[in-house]
Amino acid sequence: MKNKILNIKNLSKSYGAFKVTDEIAIDLNFDEIHALIGPNGAGKSTLIKQIVGSVKHDIGSIVLDQEDITDLNDVERAKIGISRTFQVSSIIPKFSALDNIILSLLDKSKETFQLFKSIRKNKELDAKAKKILREIELSDKSNILASELSHGDRRKLEVGLALAMDPKVFLFDEPMAGLDESGTKMMINLFKKIKTNSPILLIEHDMDAVFALADRVSVINYGKIVATGTVDQIRSNVLVRDVYLGYEI
Amino acid sequence: MIIEKFFNKWIMFFLILIPTFGVIFDEPYFITLATKVVILGIAGVGLNLALGYCGLISLGHAAFFGIGGYITGILSFHALNDEVLFSWPLVVFGSSEMLIIWPIVILVSALFSFIIGLLSLRTSGVYFIMITLAFAQMLYFFSISWPNYGGEDGLSIYMRNSFPMLNTMDPLSFYIISLFWFLFSIFISLRLINSPFGMSFQAIKQNEERVKSVGIETFKVKLLVFVISGTITGLAGSLYTDLNRFVSPTVLDWHTSGEIMVFVILGGMARLYGPLVGAAFFIALEQTLGSYTENWQFWLGLILILVILYARSGILGLFDKKLRHEK
Repeated sequence: MKNKILNIKNLSKSYGAFKVTDEIAIDLNFDEIHALIGPNGAGKSTLIKQIVGSVKHDIGSIVLDQEDITDLNDVERAKIGISRTFQVSSIIPKFSALDNIILSLLDKSKETFQLFKSIRKNKELDAKAKKILREIELSDKSNILASELSHGDRRKLEVGLALAMDPKVFLFDEPMAGLDESGTKMMINLFKKIKTNSPILLIEHDMDAVFALADRVSVINYGKIVATGTVDQIRSNVLVRDVYLGYEI
Repeated sequence: MIIEKFFNKWIMFFLILIPTFGVIFDEPYFITLATKVVILGIAGVGLNLALGYCGLISLGHAAFFGIGGYITGILSFHALNDEVLFSWPLVVFGSSEMLIIWPIVILVSALFSFIIGLLSLRTSGVYFIMITLAFAQMLYFFSISWPNYGGEDGLSIYMRNSFPMLNTMDPLSFYIISLFWFLFSIFISLRLINSPFGMSFQAIKQNEERVKSVGIETFKVKLLVFVISGTITGLAGSLYTDLNRFVSPTVLDWHTSGEIMVFVILGGMARLYGPLVGAAFFIALEQTLGSYTENWQFWLGLILILVILYARSGILGLFDKKLRHEK
């Protein structure tokens, strides 16, 4: 228990008779990337939404860093250290890339309710945001409106927003969707680097990326975790091949 | 942004030119008209913070405009009649001093904005529009059924409230007072929109779910914007009562909320001087078309439809775009 930063037990959610997540038990160790894979509609994104608190679960518990956060709302969970990316890019379209990152830094820097201080004169926030833009390789696009960025750059920016929060855990929902080869490579290297500070629960369909990154993999199908293990264990699991991979790797 | 700044300088020039013209040609009516534009501009600047910058579609800002107006009227009415305002738990008299009235208007408008915001902001979209409208209408019907202060007929205060070393009955003096408050409201808005807080509420307008996900308490941010917005509008209501030396339930009616919203949309949402331009355009239409037909608002409606269809950034946005293309 002590080496677990995130511990989810018995998490269930139903819409009428349809069980989206069914007694999910999943955990995340320090220094770990735990990938969650499964077919479309298996309940991966709903699980992420339940963890961040934007979808209320019916039963179950969520413990983050020894603290029960089950009853906290989405903003409280974000404040306490859960940072996420969205399946479909979610950015502030009329803000520049730099301003998107600065926005993400506000709460941690306790600046949100600074009413009359100029944001442009805050050198500290500016420097931190620029550092993050360098990490996600978007320095040269810092002043471009987020809505004008390419799809791949928006995915990078979303990861940047998550990084800026300096959270206890990252929940990344298909961060590599739509990235080109170099973008994926950059993301893989970045994730390897940041997992030592904050472990990652990763939903991803790019199996090459998953197998390159994950320390553990869980497979979800029809809202249930059907297998958890190392990459090798999952690769050789017959049930997993049947429900998701569908081919020999 | 640079082009908008250029326009803003021209607007400032006109704000000085029009009353100067009024003084030189001895046309106090022009000054009074300019004062009306400036005061309605302040109300619009207030709403613009909530609507234009934060995306809160409030159809209840007449409540704050009316509260400011009625507080001014009631305090002045009691002072002029030498009556106590209330005698329990303390004996409180009215006042005809602007420097006493304004802080009371600010406090009470802020309090009402807080209460209305606290309840309304739990909803969003059309429900938010309806609940803010409902609050304003509640106050409207309350004012109608309040015979002590004129009920449906309204309340006359005969003389404008006083300000040290200025004759407030002089149109130019009162214009200067109103202009001061307009510039102050612009200054406050400018500081806010360039602050971290401003960044938060402008982001909420675009993507509230994302703002929540970075740990920002969007409810608190929206509530504070709503309170500041309502307070500025309340202050405009106070000046409006002094301008007309009269306040009636009309200021609390939903038409007033709609008109303030029209100023913001016509001039340009989320543009600092947009509400002033919108108010000026509105008054100009009222004065020109109104002299030909009683149904001048039909034409206003038509223009509003065109603005919404073809110039969503309002009149300022239209010029802004035109200049950008020419460059």
